[in-house]
Amino acid sequence: MRLTRRQFTVGTASGAGLLALGPMGRLAHAARNDELNILCWEGYNTDQVLGPFRSDHPGARVRAESGTSDPDMINKLRAGEVRVWDLINVNQPWARDQLYPEGLIRPLDKERFMPYFDNMLPEFSNPPYPLSFAENGDLLGMPQRYGPFSFVVNTDRISRETAENEGWNLFLDPAMQGRYGVLTYQNWNIIHMCLTAGLDPFAPVAGADMEQFEKVAGQIFGNARLLAGDLVQMNLALINGEIDAYFTGGTYTASPARLDGATNIRAITPQSGPVDGKGGVVWVELTSVVNNPDPSSLAPEFLEFVQRPDICHAVAFSEGTYNPVAQMGDDAVMARFSARELDAIQYDSLDEEMSRSLDYQVVPSYNELNTAYSAAKRG
Amino acid sequence: MDSLNRRMGALSAIPMGVVLLLAFIFPLGVVAGFSIMPPNVFDLGHLPDFSAYGQVIEQGYWTSLAWSLGLAAASTLLLFIICWPLAFGMAKVFNRFTLVMVLAVVITLFVSENIRLFGWVLTLMKGGLIDGYLKAWFGLELSGALYNAPVIVLGLVYVYLPFMLFPLAQGIAMVPDDARQAAMDLGASRWRVFIEIDLPLASPGILVGSLISFVLAAGALAESKLLGGQEVIVIADDIESAFSYGQNWPLGSALAMVLILIVGALAIFGLSRIDLDRIMGRAG
Repeated sequence: MRLTRRQFTVGTASGAGLLALGPMGRLAHAARNDELNILCWEGYNTDQVLGPFRSDHPGARVRAESGTSDPDMINKLRAGEVRVWDLINVNQPWARDQLYPEGLIRPLDKERFMPYFDNMLPEFSNPPYPLSFAENGDLLGMPQRYGPFSFVVNTDRISRETAENEGWNLFLDPAMQGRYGVLTYQNWNIIHMCLTAGLDPFAPVAGADMEQFEKVAGQIFGNARLLAGDLVQMNLALINGEIDAYFTGGTYTASPARLDGATNIRAITPQSGPVDGKGGVVWVELTSVVNNPDPSSLAPEFLEFVQRPDICHAVAFSEGTYNPVAQMGDDAVMARFSARELDAIQYDSLDEEMSRSLDYQVVPSYNELNTAYSAAKRG
Repeated sequence: MDSLNRRMGALSAIPMGVVLLLAFIFPLGVVAGFSIMPPNVFDLGHLPDFSAYGQVIEQGYWTSLAWSLGLAAASTLLLFIICWPLAFGMAKVFNRFTLVMVLAVVITLFVSENIRLFGWVLTLMKGGLIDGYLKAWFGLELSGALYNAPVIVLGLVYVYLPFMLFPLAQGIAMVPDDARQAAMDLGASRWRVFIEIDLPLASPGILVGSLISFVLAAGALAESKLLGGQEVIVIADDIESAFSYGQNWPLGSALAMVLILIVGALAIFGLSRIDLDRIMGRAG
């Protein structure tokens, strides 16, 4: 094909035209008091939550994207997206141990936000939830959704009492071979495998302890019927009898099945365990303001907005998974939950399960444990 | 005039060259750069260190790589066997019905891969579609249909069928009917025609279809996760874990580079043996 001078000029001109559009596209996003970008776990990105906020701020462009894991979301900020996001919602250890030291989030105005702790459940209000704060006392994030997270059983096959008494040993019982699944939330699996091995995941693990971890990890993967990263798939396998229990799970994963009527699916917190007698773990989401060089004034406003009773309920019962919220200490929030909803999130046993649970923290030997975990998973 | 034409050709290629550089070469360069960084760092400002490649070898990641390549090879072979008669029909026999087939295959691509695979989970699981009917009609139970290696191959074959079918049909369309008829007139059997006429003349289509299916299947993840219940851990699974839960970008990058190098070498070897212009119908 021969290229004429005319064809070349036309091609170049259209290219230049496209390039010229670039800066104009940017102008549209320049005003940062009418834009809010939220990086969050699913729930905050639903219409039930964002709809009312958008109505309150009709000129604003409010966008939320849900992540699939804490590290995935944190990676985005590390990869330079601090310029994109205004709020990040991840589990409790990250803000204090990684996000704040790395300069990825900024502290909240204590005068504005401390009063909200007064209306929270006692676990979060008295004293104000410790992991919300940096070691220097800065307020780093506001707690809202939380839940005990250990394992899940089908109570028609394994009674709640047996499961709670057996605790993690249930998964080492030869009779359970091929009868359970592993929900591959890797960071949680590592914590739970430490507890199963009788180890404290939140203290350094090495030497003979590491060997014990490797043995337990190998056994748990080796005897599992299936591995899946999807809670729906795991609940389905539990409901249709493919498995009787799954390793790593809690109210967060069991509640969708329970709200659908499968109340024989129950999240279990072991009665006892190796760390201060506790064997369960609890996650608490903290929502923090991203250290965006061009901060949006809507970020702190949104943090206040989600403390409203109707929005607290919407956050707890948005699509996907259903979870208790710290604001249930407020009667106005509590009144919004139906008996069926409270049953779905196992509110009857929430207090005692919380008292048997450790706070999810950063795992000091995570890299070494992760290497052993990955090797065991490959088999 | 010729030199002006060449110069304008080169100038016209600049925008596309820039796009390729930014969207293709640059990200690959970043991955390559991270693969030679020390463990658990999140930027490229460190002295090169090949420990991530050491980890790939020492920690047995080759098993995942072998599984990925093995599953990809098995599914590509199966795809070829399944698609050949279909592609032959589309190219030589079906005439107008070909359009219906093309639509039927293409429409499946409109639905997300995960949803289609979840459809298979609901079909094959205990108490699922097949098991339910078997139990109701014959009192039989289907156990163990999910969560094994063969079902992953089924998933790969199902998902990547269009990527083998269409290049294959294109390849078979290139086989001149005269050549086949001449061979038959000279007494060649159907098998002989297949081996000596169809296969060699359709080889560009076979190569392109096999390459695309193999490359996609080697990097596939959803099939082993949803259907296989991670009975087999594939390399893409390890790469994802290293980047996310492992927070070890250099290890993830090194694993990705190993896969890219193997698959890239195969692709370059395959593409060097065929004339892409001919299969695109731009001969001459």
